Amino acid sequence: MKTIFSIALGILAAIGGFVDIGDIVFNVAAGATFGFELLWAVLIGVGGIITYAEMCGRVATVSGAAVFDAVRERFGFSVGLVALVAGQIVNLMTLAAEVGGVALVLELLSGLSYRVLVLLAVVALAIVLWTMPFGWIERVFGYGGLCLLVFAVAAIKLNPDWGAVAHGFVPSTGSGNGWVYAYYVVGLIGAAMIPYEVYFYSSGAVEEQWGPEDLGLNRANAVIGYSLGGLLSFALMISAGALLLPEGISAELLGTVALVADVPLGQIGLLLALIGILFAVSGAAVDSAFSGAYNVAQFFGWEWGKYRHNAGAPRFTLAWVVMLVLSFAIVITGIDPIMVTELSVVASVVALPLTYVPILLVANDRAYMGEYANGRLGNLFGVLYLLVVLVIALAAIPLLLLSNMGQG
Amino acid sequence: MTEIDLGLGVLDHQLVDSDRHRCGKVDDLELEGIQEGRPHVTEILAGPAWEHRGLVGGLAARIAKRLGRGGLVHVPWGEVERIRFGIRLRRPAHELGLDRGEERARRIVEKIPGASL
Repeated sequence: MKTIFSIALGILAAIGGFVDIGDIVFNVAAGATFGFELLWAVLIGVGGIITYAEMCGRVATVSGAAVFDAVRERFGFSVGLVALVAGQIVNLMTLAAEVGGVALVLELLSGLSYRVLVLLAVVALAIVLWTMPFGWIERVFGYGGLCLLVFAVAAIKLNPDWGAVAHGFVPSTGSGNGWVYAYYVVGLIGAAMIPYEVYFYSSGAVEEQWGPEDLGLNRANAVIGYSLGGLLSFALMISAGALLLPEGISAELLGTVALVADVPLGQIGLLLALIGILFAVSGAAVDSAFSGAYNVAQFFGWEWGKYRHNAGAPRFTLAWVVMLVLSFAIVITGIDPIMVTELSVVASVVALPLTYVPILLVANDRAYMGEYANGRLGNLFGVLYLLVVLVIALAAIPLLLLSNMGQG
Repeated sequence: MTEIDLGLGVLDHQLVDSDRHRCGKVDDLELEGIQEGRPHVTEILAGPAWEHRGLVGGLAARIAKRLGRGGLVHVPWGEVERIRFGIRLRRPAHELGLDRGEERARRIVEKIPGASL
């Protein structure tokens, strides 16, 4: 039996682990450009990640099959391999964006050269992944990410027009440039539903050796953890909307994001913001590196999991090492991490249907899932979000071009 | 006897050995007796047996062969203990020749300090 205390600890880690570099970049940029008008898009994205995380967590808990087991079983080898390649490209881009983000925060904290810090970040991540047990990895970064709550305090202290904030939760066509607005809608939903989260979440259920008695925990983690995690996204957008938009400051630098906490709260706000971003983005780097290894191992049937120890799942271990090395090779070129972030979110939107279709199929298979198959509510949301994902997947690349990457 | 769908319930599913280690996927199935009208499965093929698995599969099989990696392993159907959330086998992977890829990687990983962490 798990105690309320340990359940609460898990949920706290889920809250702190929700936000990654994509959420930070898109929420702050959207706030700086459109104020509170796009809060509804984040709300849609949070609903989507809750729906699919709960579903794939349930499938993994009941059957031991994680996302790419399901992809392989339902799509077969050929289509499954296409899904794998797409998923891995997205994972690698996401990992590169997070590694670049870690180096940027370290640069703001230390003043050392960016390239040295990229190397330092990758080495530190490798040591963490090599030495720490799974439970620790999940918790340490999740708890550190809770420092981002400073943005919630900042949002309140900035005393925004709460009527306008409430209005932002109602979908609207927005003011200003329509293409840019639509691009942000896609980006915000995509950043909240970024695929490595479900890869990692479902594999994590197997790592933690959940059984049917943990299905309540799965639901609590997904629903409570991710909705409260979503609050951090709202806080980022609200504080950026209250502070940056009236001043006409655009948010192309990570330093601007930290400034959002500095202005209302001073030095301590700035420090907490930077530490929160550092933990959240490092945690996302760890998750996306592992996700790359989970996916390829599950697709080819290799032994996998941190619970097997490094030499106990050797191809899995080499796979995450390769992910880290490749991400280093991308980031060390000096490519702008914020641009990589935007591209990774757009690419992940395009790849989303390839992940969600097989999960929905398996979760509905009564021969497989028995009494734990999707109910009416699960299917209503599942199908609804599949439609959302299909629409934004088709719109993503045209909008990237039409909006000139959100620059108008 | 329960009925199973070979395409949906066996093909592309996880192989798990008697020590509960994952040891490959059901990459293809060898059937006999089709001409006689009594088809039955004789072997599981694990490894790059993707020639008949679509266009992408054929290409992947050719690349795997070119790289000379991961030879094809034939597992007699009699080695299957049960089918439920993966194909559980009666013997450990090394007795069935299903551990070669994993062993090659293990030799590399074990050179790094802390491999047992």
